[in-house]
Amino acid sequence: METHHFHFKTRRHNYPQVVCANHRVTTSKSNVNPSVLRLHNYGNPTADLAKERAVSADETKRPSTGKFGRFGGKFVPETLISCLEQLEVVFHQVLQDPEFQEELSTALNDYVGRETPLYYAERLTAHYKAQNMGRGPDIYIKREDLAHCGAHKMNNALAQAMIAKRMGLTAVVAATGAGQHGVATASACAKLGLSCTIFMSAADMEKQPSNVDLMTLLGAKVEPTAGNFKDASSESIRVWAGKLGEVYYLAGAAVGPHPCPTMVREFQSVIGRETRRQAAEKWGRTPDAVVACVGSGSNALGIFHEFVGDRTVRLIGVEAAGFGLNSGRHAATLAAGEVGVYHGAMSYLLQDEEGNIICPHSIGVGLEYPGVAPELSFLKESGRMEFYSATDKEAVDAYIRVARLEGIIPALEASHGFAYLEKLCPTLPDGAKIVVSCSGRGDKDATTVSKYLSL
Amino acid sequence: MAIRAAATSAPTARSSSALSLPPPISSSSSYSSAQLSFGRAKSTTRPRTTVGCAISCTMTREAAAVTSTEKDDSDPALWSRPDSFGRFGKFGGKYVPETLMYALTELESAFNSVKNDPDFQASKLCISAVKAELGGILKDYVGRETPLYFAERLTDHYRRPNGEGPHIYLKREDLNHTGAHKINNAIGQVLLAKRLGKKRIIAETGAGQHGVATATVCARFGLECIIYMGAQDMERQSLNVFRMRLLGAEVRGVHSGTATLKDATSEAIRDWVTNVESTHYILGSVAGPHPYPMMVREFHKVIGEETRRQAMEKWGGKPDILVACVGGGSNAMGLFEDFVKDKDVRLIGVEAAGLGLDSGKHAATLTKGEVGVLHGAMSYLLQDDDGQIIEPHSISAGLDYPGVGPEHSFLKEKGRAEYYCVTDEEALEAFKRVSRLEGIIPALETSHALAYLEKLCPTLPDKTKVVLNCSGRGDKDVQTAIKYLKV
Repeated sequence: METHHFHFKTRRHNYPQVVCANHRVTTSKSNVNPSVLRLHNYGNPTADLAKERAVSADETKRPSTGKFGRFGGKFVPETLISCLEQLEVVFHQVLQDPEFQEELSTALNDYVGRETPLYYAERLTAHYKAQNMGRGPDIYIKREDLAHCGAHKMNNALAQAMIAKRMGLTAVVAATGAGQHGVATASACAKLGLSCTIFMSAADMEKQPSNVDLMTLLGAKVEPTAGNFKDASSESIRVWAGKLGEVYYLAGAAVGPHPCPTMVREFQSVIGRETRRQAAEKWGRTPDAVVACVGSGSNALGIFHEFVGDRTVRLIGVEAAGFGLNSGRHAATLAAGEVGVYHGAMSYLLQDEEGNIICPHSIGVGLEYPGVAPELSFLKESGRMEFYSATDKEAVDAYIRVARLEGIIPALEASHGFAYLEKLCPTLPDGAKIVVSCSGRGDKDATTVSKYLSL
Repeated sequence: MAIRAAATSAPTARSSSALSLPPPISSSSSYSSAQLSFGRAKSTTRPRTTVGCAISCTMTREAAAVTSTEKDDSDPALWSRPDSFGRFGKFGGKYVPETLMYALTELESAFNSVKNDPDFQASKLCISAVKAELGGILKDYVGRETPLYFAERLTDHYRRPNGEGPHIYLKREDLNHTGAHKINNAIGQVLLAKRLGKKRIIAETGAGQHGVATATVCARFGLECIIYMGAQDMERQSLNVFRMRLLGAEVRGVHSGTATLKDATSEAIRDWVTNVESTHYILGSVAGPHPYPMMVREFHKVIGEETRRQAMEKWGGKPDILVACVGGGSNAMGLFEDFVKDKDVRLIGVEAAGLGLDSGKHAATLTKGEVGVLHGAMSYLLQDDDGQIIEPHSISAGLDYPGVGPEHSFLKEKGRAEYYCVTDEEALEAFKRVSRLEGIIPALETSHALAYLEKLCPTLPDKTKVVLNCSGRGDKDVQTAIKYLKV
């Protein structure tokens, strides 16, 4: 078997080389030559950016394999390959199109409400310092909860809906678990005048009825499916495969076949870019640690990507431990999963001995995904990223703690990140700068938490 | 319920002949900002309550019987808004029990001293890196400045067949932390309360938005928080009650009267009278006794100031028309304030016509109300022939208030602002329309302003710039809307 070495360049830093001896992209016959995948730094989308990027004409014509080390790829039926390749071409085009970038930038500012603040959590910081004789890190919160629709999902949904429009498609299809991505997609489609169908499992619809109502009000059609998010996902991909050329599949998570993970990460990376600038303004350098919850990984990648090349920045992902890692009822893919192919990509996933996907559990519905972004799998394996987990109880405690101390009600998903502060802060030196990504607001979780507390 | 109490007095050049009063306490000498030190809880020159000298205030529609300090009527830039009595023309004032007079005066002095304190100032500093207390908090915590968003599909919707039509911009107050404009005022007032050394905060709330905003800021600054809410409202808005409790506030149900907002306000005022030394009352709107209408307006006026700057950036001019919904009137005053002196800018307020103006079930105070005193201020209000407050109705709880801020009454009387109203049904239609066209779900309150565009836009010349205050997001109204729209 051939041995391929991949160089990953981001901002002129090299990733460690990873041998992917045992894996080959088993996709189209035409493209087996793995090219150098350059992870572009797109900086702040401006009209001038197109000139700054050095992308060879060659690369834009030849679709890449979408591998992150041995993870990622395009494990899909042949019928989808040409669609994915076309999508990748358009993706690269829009990244270099100054008009698109300006329209996106205006929409992100005026519609989504960017840039979101980097907020110094004074009372949360004092809380942890008080437990440690007045010493502890300074905690900053990246306020993605203030984005339109109340979560980071909008960054990606808007950009991709604009791509759909550019491709001349009038209908969008997507799958959603917690509903946040569904709401963001419905919202973006309404704004751009596209028709929108969202697949959501009946079980999830029951857990998050308010999100279903929101999607309906925004003019989207919500189709119930059996099972849970993975089934909704599969159904939406099936519908897409049946209507290629008419319908755009809007991926919400940095998972799936290439180019979906890259696209989603790219559009979410605005979070990290803003954080870098704001950190420089506020304290003159990069953060010491960045903490984010990890479900499929879009918000985590969104804030981590910018800092991957800065070795001094610790990247900390917090997954859902549900009822506990030993209970078998959790969603901690990176901690307890194995490598396999799921939804078109090779990545860590939760599977039983027979290779069937385990149904995950978390009180934070958005974290209930049995897989994880291939790029995060790569960051784990290369040791660049640390990952931990928090139980349902720890997440609810954090939810209440942040609400009481800062008047910010974080989403239960984001609460997992806040929960990890309990273990992290005592270990950090005084004055260390931590940025916690508050990926969404928690109004939607009020009923869940009130039920949980009354039990 | 209307509170009949002693009228205020302050030194003026001429004595008021309509009412004979004992010599007034000279407010300029005792409570001027230069002399009041905030470290002390009590001032040595307390006003003596005049025992045995009952003074009553006559409500009158005779403008001549009321002292007026205006010099020029036609130029808005010269209007005293308010004057030293706290009056906007004949509206406003301080119709409160004597025990509250000191607290109000103290509050006014504190506010005046911070207004000009560069360390405290807000509005101009939101986009710069200057470390000013209020500016910093508004930027990093609340998420200001909010965008001025060009609503392309809404504009297209109102485009006439010949291609002409106004350009519609939405001021996105719905993107603020907690989802409404309410937090601008809550933040300002809690910072003021801290400066005054108060540890206990009380507030009233109808729908719960102001309650949540107050509970939020109290959590942020670590103050004790008690929210008064009508028992009926608590049932309708149980999720907001949970949010307030989650944030650490105590929610007290009010069962008197009709158990709604006006009763909650009265109860809050009673609490304040009892605990005035330790407690600050965060009033949610530009209503109530002076200095509240002025203070709340000042804390919200960042909305209009940002709009002016953003309008200049976007199209190099001013807005032609400003539209906002009016319940108590805070979001409207916030948007209008900076433009009141610009006579070429039309100011339009939209109230709730509920089930229709003739049905008797509405909250269209400025259209159908009469002048009277409610919650400490003279203003328009909805009252029956016996002078009892009529229970208002609107599908949107935030507009469900039988009074209105005195400054709105003043602007209406001067003809500076126009006020219209919109029914529940029209508001619901607008709610759905904007959700479907822009992917923005507006609060039902805001939907009233959006509904008025249906009548307004056909009358406007091509390219008129309309700025509408999107005062809040509508997630809280989804259940209601789905029920009524049968979507």
